[in-house]
Amino acid sequence: MRNKKFNASVGQLGERLASEYLKKKGHKILAQNYRTRYAEIDLVTKHKDVLVFVEVRTKVGEQFGAPEETLNFRKLQKVKENAAAYATRIKWNKLYRIDAVCVVLGENYQVLRLNHYENICQDPL
Amino acid sequence: MLIKVSSALHIGLETVGVDVEINMASRGLPGFDIVGLPSKAVDESKERVRTAILNSQIEFPAQKITVNLAPADIPKEGSFYDLPIAVGILSAVLDFRIPKNTLFFGELSLDGSLRHTKGALLLALFAKEFGYTHLFVPKDSANEAAAIPEITVYPAAHLAEVVEHLAGRYALEPAAVSEAPTLSEGSIAEFDMAEILGQEQAKRAMEIAATGGHNILMIGSPGAGKTMLARALPGILPPLHQIESLEVTKIYSASGNIGVGGGLLSARPFRAPHHSSSLVGIIGGGTRPQPGEISLAHRGVLFLDEFNEFPRSVLEALRQPLEDGYVTIGRALGRVRYPAQFMLVASANPCPCGYLNHPKKPCICSPREIQKYRKRASGPILDRIDLHVEVPAVEIDDLAQERQAVKQGEPSSSIQERIKLARNIQHERFAKDAIQVNAEMKNAHLKQYAHLSSEVERILRQAAKRFQLSARSYFRMQKISRTIADLEGVEDITVAHMAEALQYRPKIHDEE
Repeated sequence: MRNKKFNASVGQLGERLASEYLKKKGHKILAQNYRTRYAEIDLVTKHKDVLVFVEVRTKVGEQFGAPEETLNFRKLQKVKENAAAYATRIKWNKLYRIDAVCVVLGENYQVLRLNHYENICQDPL
Repeated sequence: MLIKVSSALHIGLETVGVDVEINMASRGLPGFDIVGLPSKAVDESKERVRTAILNSQIEFPAQKITVNLAPADIPKEGSFYDLPIAVGILSAVLDFRIPKNTLFFGELSLDGSLRHTKGALLLALFAKEFGYTHLFVPKDSANEAAAIPEITVYPAAHLAEVVEHLAGRYALEPAAVSEAPTLSEGSIAEFDMAEILGQEQAKRAMEIAATGGHNILMIGSPGAGKTMLARALPGILPPLHQIESLEVTKIYSASGNIGVGGGLLSARPFRAPHHSSSLVGIIGGGTRPQPGEISLAHRGVLFLDEFNEFPRSVLEALRQPLEDGYVTIGRALGRVRYPAQFMLVASANPCPCGYLNHPKKPCICSPREIQKYRKRASGPILDRIDLHVEVPAVEIDDLAQERQAVKQGEPSSSIQERIKLARNIQHERFAKDAIQVNAEMKNAHLKQYAHLSSEVERILRQAAKRFQLSARSYFRMQKISRTIADLEGVEDITVAHMAEALQYRPKIHDEE
């Protein structure tokens, strides 16, 4: 049945779907699963001169809550720190932002919905 | 990119200019921060501004926005920084210039419309004093600001209107200069003086008090008509003239007591706080000092019904404002001075049961009880009340007879006419003295304007000796006689004027 391995594979599937979606939207993928001691960033892309950090959240079915609900303040704080670290490492001196992609899968891993939220960190949480 | 928009902040009735500085950085993580000691209401402005801009079909810039409210060391309060912040941000997005010498002021609604915001009149006065020429305010508050003719006031209903105007695509119509409405719309008294049967002496005392702005205490049994007399008072008070109206409207504007679309006030305030009101409610105060009832009654009437039921601390706190005409409230956050030149109208029963000196009903109070009851209002406070008048119980038979005879009393309107004339005399007399009514006269004024002939002075001296009047009462008698002479329209105070004034001397102490 469902276990950690299963969840990890669902997560990877979601990230793959997200990167395909963003590529179609014109994003250039710079890194996947960028990891520092703070946390891991699922995707780093570049879109029209703006560096974009993407957090991907995937769920099978929504009966145990929407993927949007799993994004909390602490997680975002980690992503922010990590993004700042990445921006410093590549000496990025223009705007960057943080996006989220939420994926909901069905019984047979087909995509039920995929939402892209831009610039989620400007709203004061 | 740095943008500067001018606005202001109110501390009590004083206004300080505030520069709203907005920096839009094109590096780093997008965000929206307000610095410069914002209170919760100012900080939440972020949410209102963002949503209002989005709902005006304009994209909110994904940049790092820092707003500084300078001077940064004064705590900012209120919701009226919404408009300057929004206009500043949009000037960068839509590329228009912020005009010079222009103030922005107003709270935004989530849909981008501008809401009625308190303090618009104070802002217009500030603008006039410091050389600003144009003012953008919410439409609902524009009438207040438009009372100052030197300033061009733009009433805006929606954020988009302001933005389009500044971008030169739409012309907002400046508000017409607002004038105080006539009294008929303003004060409508609950009762007409003609409805009150009998009580001729009390009515006369009311008229004198209303003419000279004197304090008055009515003592009488329950049901004699004390409250009715006081409630009829607004009907005989003359309307506020221009200087007074500005003073009163300022207090009401600062405390948010002017309704949507309201402008200058013309009716004299009539405040009747209940006797359970707290010290702060009456005098004013709070962490950010707000005006109390005495300041809201400025240039009008403070009616304290059941005077003896008020807590002693409240009554004693009235002493200094009664004498000075203003109150200074000191709190950790600062000191605020509010004007409080009001006319005190107090009513009380003669004893706890209320029937002392009643022609029919016996009084059931013990002398000790009566003494205790009387002691609640102290000598110093009673000494500051110029006119003391007894309101005797009305006999039911007399009432019926009077009604049958259709012997109507004088209506409020004709009494008001008389008072208006007498007030005009005072107005002309004090044109150079920065006071308005006889009650405000200081000793120097008394020498100049209320000269007593040797005969009149002799009577006053005799009375003072006999009734043991205090020095303050002595001068108050002189003021009242001045008012009575004004009511008659004569220059010299005669023996008859003084004799009438002496009838209203403080009596409580001679009985004890």
